Amino acid sequence: MTQANQSLLIDNFTLSYKTESGEFRVLENIDLGIARGEVVGLVGESGSGKSTIATAIMQAVQGKIATKSGEILLGDTDLSGLTSDQLNAIRGNRISMVFQDAGASLNPTLALGEHVIQVLRRHHSMNRVEAKNESIRLIEMVGLADPELMMTKYPHEVSGGEKQRLVIAMAFACDPNLILFDEPTSALDATTAKNILDLFRELQRKTGVAALFISHDLGTVAEIAHRVAVIYAGHIVEIAKTADLFHQPRHPYTRSLLASLPNPMSQDNAHNLLSLAGSLPPRDAPLLGCVFAERCPFVESKCREGSIVIHDDEGEIESHRTACIKWNEALALPLTETVAVTKTVPSEGDQQQILEVVNLSVRIGKHTFIDRLFGKPPKMIHAVSNVSFSIHSGETLGLVGESGCGKSSLARALTALRDFEGEIKLEGQSFKSPADINKLYRSKLQIIFQNPDFSLNPRQKISTILSRPLKLYENISGADLQGAIDNLLEQVNLPVEYKNRYPHQLSGGEKQRIAIARALAAKPSIIICDEITAGLDASVQASIVNLLDVIQRERGIAYLFITHDLNLLSHIANRVAVMYLGQIVELRKAHDINTPPYHPYTEALLSSAPILDPDVEVRRIRLEGAIPSRIGDFKGCPFESRCPRRQGDICSSDDPTGKELSTEHKIWCHIDQDSLMRMPPIWKI
Amino acid sequence: MIDILKRLVKQPQGLIGAILFSILAIAIIFGPMIAPYDPETFHFGSRLNSPSLDFWMGTDQFGRDIFSRLLWGARSTITLSLLATLMATVIGCTIGVISGYIGGRFDEIVMRFIDAAMAIPNLLFSLMVVTVLGSNATNAMIAIGIAFTPGMARVARSVTLSVRTLDFVAAADARGESGLWITAREITPNILASVIVEGTIRVAFAIMLLATLSFLGLGAQPPAPEWGLMVSEAREFMFKSGWTIFWPGIAIATVALTFNLLGDALRDVLNPKTH
Repeated sequence: MTQANQSLLIDNFTLSYKTESGEFRVLENIDLGIARGEVVGLVGESGSGKSTIATAIMQAVQGKIATKSGEILLGDTDLSGLTSDQLNAIRGNRISMVFQDAGASLNPTLALGEHVIQVLRRHHSMNRVEAKNESIRLIEMVGLADPELMMTKYPHEVSGGEKQRLVIAMAFACDPNLILFDEPTSALDATTAKNILDLFRELQRKTGVAALFISHDLGTVAEIAHRVAVIYAGHIVEIAKTADLFHQPRHPYTRSLLASLPNPMSQDNAHNLLSLAGSLPPRDAPLLGCVFAERCPFVESKCREGSIVIHDDEGEIESHRTACIKWNEALALPLTETVAVTKTVPSEGDQQQILEVVNLSVRIGKHTFIDRLFGKPPKMIHAVSNVSFSIHSGETLGLVGESGCGKSSLARALTALRDFEGEIKLEGQSFKSPADINKLYRSKLQIIFQNPDFSLNPRQKISTILSRPLKLYENISGADLQGAIDNLLEQVNLPVEYKNRYPHQLSGGEKQRIAIARALAAKPSIIICDEITAGLDASVQASIVNLLDVIQRERGIAYLFITHDLNLLSHIANRVAVMYLGQIVELRKAHDINTPPYHPYTEALLSSAPILDPDVEVRRIRLEGAIPSRIGDFKGCPFESRCPRRQGDICSSDDPTGKELSTEHKIWCHIDQDSLMRMPPIWKI
Repeated sequence: MIDILKRLVKQPQGLIGAILFSILAIAIIFGPMIAPYDPETFHFGSRLNSPSLDFWMGTDQFGRDIFSRLLWGARSTITLSLLATLMATVIGCTIGVISGYIGGRFDEIVMRFIDAAMAIPNLLFSLMVVTVLGSNATNAMIAIGIAFTPGMARVARSVTLSVRTLDFVAAADARGESGLWITAREITPNILASVIVEGTIRVAFAIMLLATLSFLGLGAQPPAPEWGLMVSEAREFMFKSGWTIFWPGIAIATVALTFNLLGDALRDVLNPKTH
């Protein structure tokens, strides 16, 4: 690798921490160059060391360091040799950083403008007036409306997307050589994230800044990066141009990572997602051979000897490098025998309606004493308004929408955790208020929560956790109870010994399996899955999804699968309900999600979903503004304020009626049927 | 249990706390046997003697051996403070968890009463209780227990509020568990760590409060070898014969320190995520 033209060069960088059990290897032999004007994506699972690379570049590694070797060069400057004063002059000036949580990287007691002004004054020694004018220019540049007003606002007064825009303005303030992005869009909604990515792409093109873009999400990286590096357990296993990496992944890890992601573009949804067995290798023992050997389907004895030679295509910096000794032979082999899954959609005849929801509304808030005293109307948030849908046995209904659309409130109402109005019919029995809900209902309708760290009591053993539904609903006790617990663990593919463990002794995926087992213990006919794979790595997500699939086929359980991930939804669901601002705006079949017509909001959501294939052309639809407030009653279509296809006053004055466009396809929109039918598809290959 | 102890002594604070606690425990259990003299025997020939080979910590104004008095006094002083704290913890925790779990108007009302009770300083509160019940050691203990209850209830309630928003409580609610199970088995184990830490710190306060009450003549009555009472009686002689106030003072400080150290160490040990 040559140094000319390099914005950043990481040369043979190794880092390890001192721990009680010995040396903990964090990063090993990292070689990574970023050319001027280039965006390099860095992709890896949680715990792979990807964020540590960013902290290492910033020279901000904390903790007891055992070894640290190699060079990190910014242009010609070796960063590791600098004093803290010299580093402070570089940080925020020549290198800047954008973090995942913009809320945490802004000082809540400072106005937004002050943040930018301080960066400018610190590094460009501008006076206040100059800095202020420059800040206004920057804030305008990142697409924030009314920059002067924006300068005076405080972080809590603006939305997450606006905060992230401001952080980007700060990052660009000093014309840096390099910007480090650490999961900048992970905490944002899909439509907002897309806007941020667009903004960065445009600014990058204008300024020619180099960037390292760290993410766990391959789809996001595919969109923004010129080259992508894949990191596994502290080793970069493959680097290639984005298109090459997605079309011809060489390293078995990269291949399995791609195979574990649901891809709505492949018509191949009949196949299981790939999930690798095992987990990251122990990092406190010395490593012999390939870091991926334990989980690699093509492993041979030679993979476990000596160090792995990195295969480098002849040529310059932009070559395709693969840390695998037999990628060439392995490429011809399939990863695993993919199991064909025939989605058993029950035929019309034996479709038994399990759950029917009629005009369900959830209102949160109360009429406080003070408000009543002054005669003010109650401040009620309409979390869910007049939602109706039904689910059949053995079917998966996907519920998709952005944060704050009311999907979790709906789940909580269905489990009687929230007050609701309207009617819920479960297996023919009608329930009109939470007080009606009985033990039978509770056992038949189970819920799995997003984060098993919170949904499993950390002070209870797995056996206690699993025994509760058995005792409550089945009256099992004594010796039968142990057998039933063992049986449950086996059903979710966990070893029986786990029953004596505490939740924190299990990995994230295993914990979620316990939560599934607990739901199964009640012998439910429907399970609500509330974002249950949101915090999991792709491979673990794939194994959970496959498990749910097996359970459904064996027992005919219906799922209400709540998620914000459209790709996953098109893989797992039979039908999709799209929710916006507490209302369902579209109900459709999942398999033909790329076939118009769409509700304008569905259209925008689809356009924002990250697509794995860089060749797919996505019709661009961007939403402006934020989700409006839901306090008080409103009239008309909920999407009216942001709709790119707004029809006119009718949208804000009349509630749209559901249009039945074909069987099982309903859209609540004022646009006439013919115009809807003429919509082009979102994705084009 | 053995496991918890093992992890406890692995930490420096835990180790020091545990060593100090064992010394205190020996004094409580074997004190009267170790003590060289009877705590109430007057040695008229050697009043206000400075520490010597005969009297290791010196003698007080009546010629009583201070070392023996401390050893005898450990039993009543420490045990009473522990019991007072235990009483406050159990009652306070029950009130706090139930109030926090039920929430709403019930919680509002309970908490306003707690606030009212907390507005009265602990000492004043216990003075009132002792005045009503009559001054002796047991009543002093009950008084301290009652005085500490509102504070414990507050702590228990605030932790309960944060625990009850977690999904495992929602899961239990959705399952249709009884209120008793949810409060006793889902919430209480998760607030115990904070409550125990708060409790151990309060043991130190209880000792001092008990000493204060005895000092004011409302707790243990002379000639009982209670530490607070000893400090109170030694006050007149503290400038000429400093040891008379020094040793009981040190003893009270040591107990306070012991429970503080144990409290800090227990907080870490009782958190399942740290091991």
